[in-house]
Amino acid sequence: MSEMNIIETQNLTKTYGDFTAVSHLNLHIKKGSVYGFLGPNGAGKSTTMKMLLGLAKPTSGSFHINRKSYPKDRIAILRDMGSFIEAPAFYGNLTGEENLEILRRILQLPKSAVADALELTGLTEHRKRQAKKYSLGMKQRLGLAGALLGHPPILILDEPTNGLDPIGIHEIRTLVRSLPEKYDCTVLVSSHLLPEVELMADDFGILNHGRLLFEGTMDALKRTAENAGLPTYNLEETFLSLIDMDNRNRGERI
Amino acid sequence: MSGTRVPFLQPFLETRKLRRTGFCPAFLGGGLLGALVPAVNMAVRAESFTSQSGSPFRILMDANWQLMAQLNIFLVVCGACILYHTEYADNGIQKARSLPMRPLCLFLGKLTILAVSCLLPLCIEALSLLLCRAHWFSDSAGAGRQLLAGLAFELVLLLPTAAAMLFLSSMCQNMWISLGAGVILVFFSSMLPQGSAAVALMPFASPYRMLHQFSGREALWMCALCLGEVLLFCAAERIYHNIRRCFS
Ligand SMILES: Nc1ncnc2c1ncn2[C@@H]1O[C@H](COP(=O)(O)OP(=O)(O)OP(=O)(O)O)[C@@H](O)[C@H]1O
Ligand SMILES: [Mg+2]
Repeated sequence: MSEMNIIETQNLTKTYGDFTAVSHLNLHIKKGSVYGFLGPNGAGKSTTMKMLLGLAKPTSGSFHINRKSYPKDRIAILRDMGSFIEAPAFYGNLTGEENLEILRRILQLPKSAVADALELTGLTEHRKRQAKKYSLGMKQRLGLAGALLGHPPILILDEPTNGLDPIGIHEIRTLVRSLPEKYDCTVLVSSHLLPEVELMADDFGILNHGRLLFEGTMDALKRTAENAGLPTYNLEETFLSLIDMDNRNRGERI
Repeated sequence: MSGTRVPFLQPFLETRKLRRTGFCPAFLGGGLLGALVPAVNMAVRAESFTSQSGSPFRILMDANWQLMAQLNIFLVVCGACILYHTEYADNGIQKARSLPMRPLCLFLGKLTILAVSCLLPLCIEALSLLLCRAHWFSDSAGAGRQLLAGLAFELVLLLPTAAAMLFLSSMCQNMWISLGAGVILVFFSSMLPQGSAAVALMPFASPYRMLHQFSGREALWMCALCLGEVLLFCAAERIYHNIRRCFS
């Protein structure tokens, strides 16, 4: 694998019965970059992330993370990753602080890590409240705090701004943007909205029906769109027409 | 390597997850309820027991253990359900599974907690038997050893039930399903013929046995086979974990 890429997948595939959720995916995620992972509902973003975390077993294909290969080095890989998949996952009967404390002990981080993560996500004030009594956005922040705990070298964030207020969205965006510089961190962040990730990401991967339509920088995307005769004056338009074109091609294939 | 310390610490971490779940009150209350059984039984019809010949513990156990054991099994069922309900209720288990830990660690941690928690009701019940004996029977030679041996034996006999129930709860995202299945199994197992050796070893049925029903050798075999069953359920959990990952 290339030295530059911290995450690389080779023909990563996941099928459920006869339905293919992710098909021959080849991702290249550069060390120290923010990678925006885009696609409409059901494209396979969460499934891909679950495979990277070992929560779902790939049907075929393989991947390397930080020069370690799955499944041989599963535990070593997980030690390098902070994650937040789909909905926040926590223990509702515990307070926000107690939740993070459990994670801290498993990850064997210094005591200060919890206060640090609470501060970073703006939960310090609510740390003594039971997590099931948190508001939607606060749960989301708790999930993020769990992912950010101890500043892991790789962060996997699945729609991290879901359910946040505009100020929260802005905060998280700024935070994600600053992570590579501050903590030498690589971030894989998924979203439905191209304009949203455009503000955070260096590279983009666009997924539709489990297949990678495009991978590269924003400039490369604009060039690709221009060559294909798609609109480029508006990113939303570009994204939509790219998906639409693929859906039409797909219809012809079937 | 620093990661190796985690499996060892797992039971301690698991106890932290039990705050505000009612797990400890349940075991305390269950133990007290079990302790009431021999006391009430003796208080109501003391003569029919004190008139019997033989070891007092034996008389007390024969008269009360069926009900006490059933209460203990119920407690184990509830305990296992609570242990996994905290994981599934707000999807904490997804986070747990994406941490650098061996997949079986979670199960083993919970099994350790459940086994240790069973000591609480068993000790309260033993204490109650001891008090009943002191109060209603005159002969009290060699009480301590008999009681401790019985306690250890009953704890080991509860372990297959604990492992089986935890395995079941780990498969059910919805606590009511595992609880319902557990309750059905408790009633089903109490209806099985008590004499057969195969039944005596089954999870949910084994805790009804008493130490004095067996010779020393047989009792040791029982314990060994029960521990074997626990290993079997651990292996089953491991296999289930691999299968589940293919479908999730
Ligand atoms: N356990 C499962 N069994 C069967 N199909 C599944 C399973 N998990 C996911 N799928 C299917 O795989 C496809 C991809 O799902 P995935 O959750 O990865 O989409 P997504 O890109 O994250 O979508 P969204 O933007 O809505 O979160 C969907 O069609 C989904 O129904
Ligand atoms: Mg998703």
